[in-house]
Amino acid sequence: MSAATALSPTDAGAILFGVFFLLLFLRVPVAFALGLACLPILLIEPHLTAMSLVQETFNAYNSFILLAVPFYLLAANLMNVGGITDRLVRLSRALVGHFPGALAQVNVVLSIFFAGISGSSTADAASQGKIFIEAQRKEGYDDSFNAAITAVSAVLAVIVPPSILMIVWGGVLTVSIGGLFLAGVIPGLAIGLVQMATVHVYAKARGYPTYPRATLVEGIKAFGVSVPALLTPVIIIGGKIFGWFTPTEAACIAVLYAIALALFVYREMTARGLHDALLDTGRFAAVTLFCVGTASAFGWLLAYYQIPKAIIESVMVWEMGPIGTGFFIAAAFLVVGCFLDAIPAIIIVGTILEPLAKAVGMHPIHFAMIGIVSLAFGLVTPPYGLCLLISCSIANIRVVDALKDTMIMLAPMFGVLVLVILWPDFVLILPKLISPEFLK
Amino acid sequence: MSDVRPAPARERWRAFTAWYSRALSWLLIASVTILVVPVSMQIFSRFTALIPHYIWTEEMARFLFIWMIMIGAMVGVRESTHFEVDVWPRLGARADAALKLFSALAVLVMAIVFVWSGIEFTRFAWNRISELAELPLWLIHVAWPVAGVTWIVFLGEQAWDAAAVLFGRAAA
Repeated sequence: MSAATALSPTDAGAILFGVFFLLLFLRVPVAFALGLACLPILLIEPHLTAMSLVQETFNAYNSFILLAVPFYLLAANLMNVGGITDRLVRLSRALVGHFPGALAQVNVVLSIFFAGISGSSTADAASQGKIFIEAQRKEGYDDSFNAAITAVSAVLAVIVPPSILMIVWGGVLTVSIGGLFLAGVIPGLAIGLVQMATVHVYAKARGYPTYPRATLVEGIKAFGVSVPALLTPVIIIGGKIFGWFTPTEAACIAVLYAIALALFVYREMTARGLHDALLDTGRFAAVTLFCVGTASAFGWLLAYYQIPKAIIESVMVWEMGPIGTGFFIAAAFLVVGCFLDAIPAIIIVGTILEPLAKAVGMHPIHFAMIGIVSLAFGLVTPPYGLCLLISCSIANIRVVDALKDTMIMLAPMFGVLVLVILWPDFVLILPKLISPEFLK
Repeated sequence: MSDVRPAPARERWRAFTAWYSRALSWLLIASVTILVVPVSMQIFSRFTALIPHYIWTEEMARFLFIWMIMIGAMVGVRESTHFEVDVWPRLGARADAALKLFSALAVLVMAIVFVWSGIEFTRFAWNRISELAELPLWLIHVAWPVAGVTWIVFLGEQAWDAAAVLFGRAAA
């Protein structure tokens, strides 16, 4: 890297970001905009050729860790076609059906259970959108509320372990994935709780319906049929913590377990359902991961010109303390999350900010959780909030129409993010207690 | 359909891409299904004595994974499922077609790069084999030029449609 480059870092940065945002604005798909932004530089710079783009995308896909992404999506899709989700709906209803805004509470609680099995928010938004949005509409809930609550509760899937974002973060920035899994538990549950409180306030204000309290017998029955499904997070997270499996293997176990449940325990999977689950997984995983390849090429060029170092040096001048840095990191990820999918954002921005976090002595897991929670919020912020896009398309409303309710629901969730920033032990306490070796 | 008959070439093209993308979808399903096998073998060989510990499972999984991503990315172009950021208000049919045409041309540039550099990339791997499974590496590298060619086929169809709307030869 010390060799002289034809372009100055400033020019290279201007070309990369300029072309990228211009193409994005002209509605070129994100993955292609990232790749095309690299092209002028690859052609200008004498040491580089267009083949670097092919080589860098190849290097990005040639990764055993990323393989966890299709597996977690497949596990989620199999849960839906195999009757596992239905059992968890029944359990959630027995638990919170008697709260005001019953169905919306069930929506949130199911997301917490779902998050413990799947690691994909988009899979959560797609499947729960289909279950809840129409049902809530029939019970008189407003459409903007339905789309918003489905989208914001879906973000739990990447905060509560297991999580695709944690696996990618751990893989790209070399942080213990087991440690990240444990760190996500408390913030994830806290966000779930504030969402339930938000639903409560909405339900009281707008008179949303309540179900009769489930009898103890029904509660026990609902729990009984859900036990096999509820064991999934125990197997995945336990297996990771005790070092039985790698993250990718744990995701594969989730798939095998979901298949076993669907075939032998709940026996609801049809050939059609299986076909759709597989095709859906392939389509979605590939489109998501393709973008990881071009994002990696983009990030590689940024590093080639040492642009991250230049950015960090200019930020260091402000001399922010750990807390100021925490807020800065959150703000950076929140802004980037509005325009970029979370995985490419980790690859590009996570690597840029890492030295900044290190410089103020922030623990790598603490830094990761600030980033992951902020990026999770980015899943519901327009213009590029995939979960909100999905839930609005299922509800058949425009994103702008759901925006106000989404922002209202996000406000208390920001409270949890602030807590994560101000109080490192909020995320670090579980890893400290359960397996301190992850913190080294 | 009114008395304006679509060009037969256009119809043949559409029929071909429909068939081709169905075939790709089946390959995609196959690749997702088969991916589970080597990773499961890796787990079972570690914890049970049922199967020996094969050294090539990890590499096999990675190579299949690369093909899965590339096939899915091909299908994604035909189905327009690659994520885009839409900051425009609701547009008229022509303005929308103009943006679609531009986007198709931009992706076309990338497709040409994938074909051009992808051929070089495949040649580069012509005589090399992988470390563990000893597979010929060009079998994996060739996914790039194949993706490029496939995109060109799919994009041509879309650009044609968008141009027809833009220049007023078809109803939106």
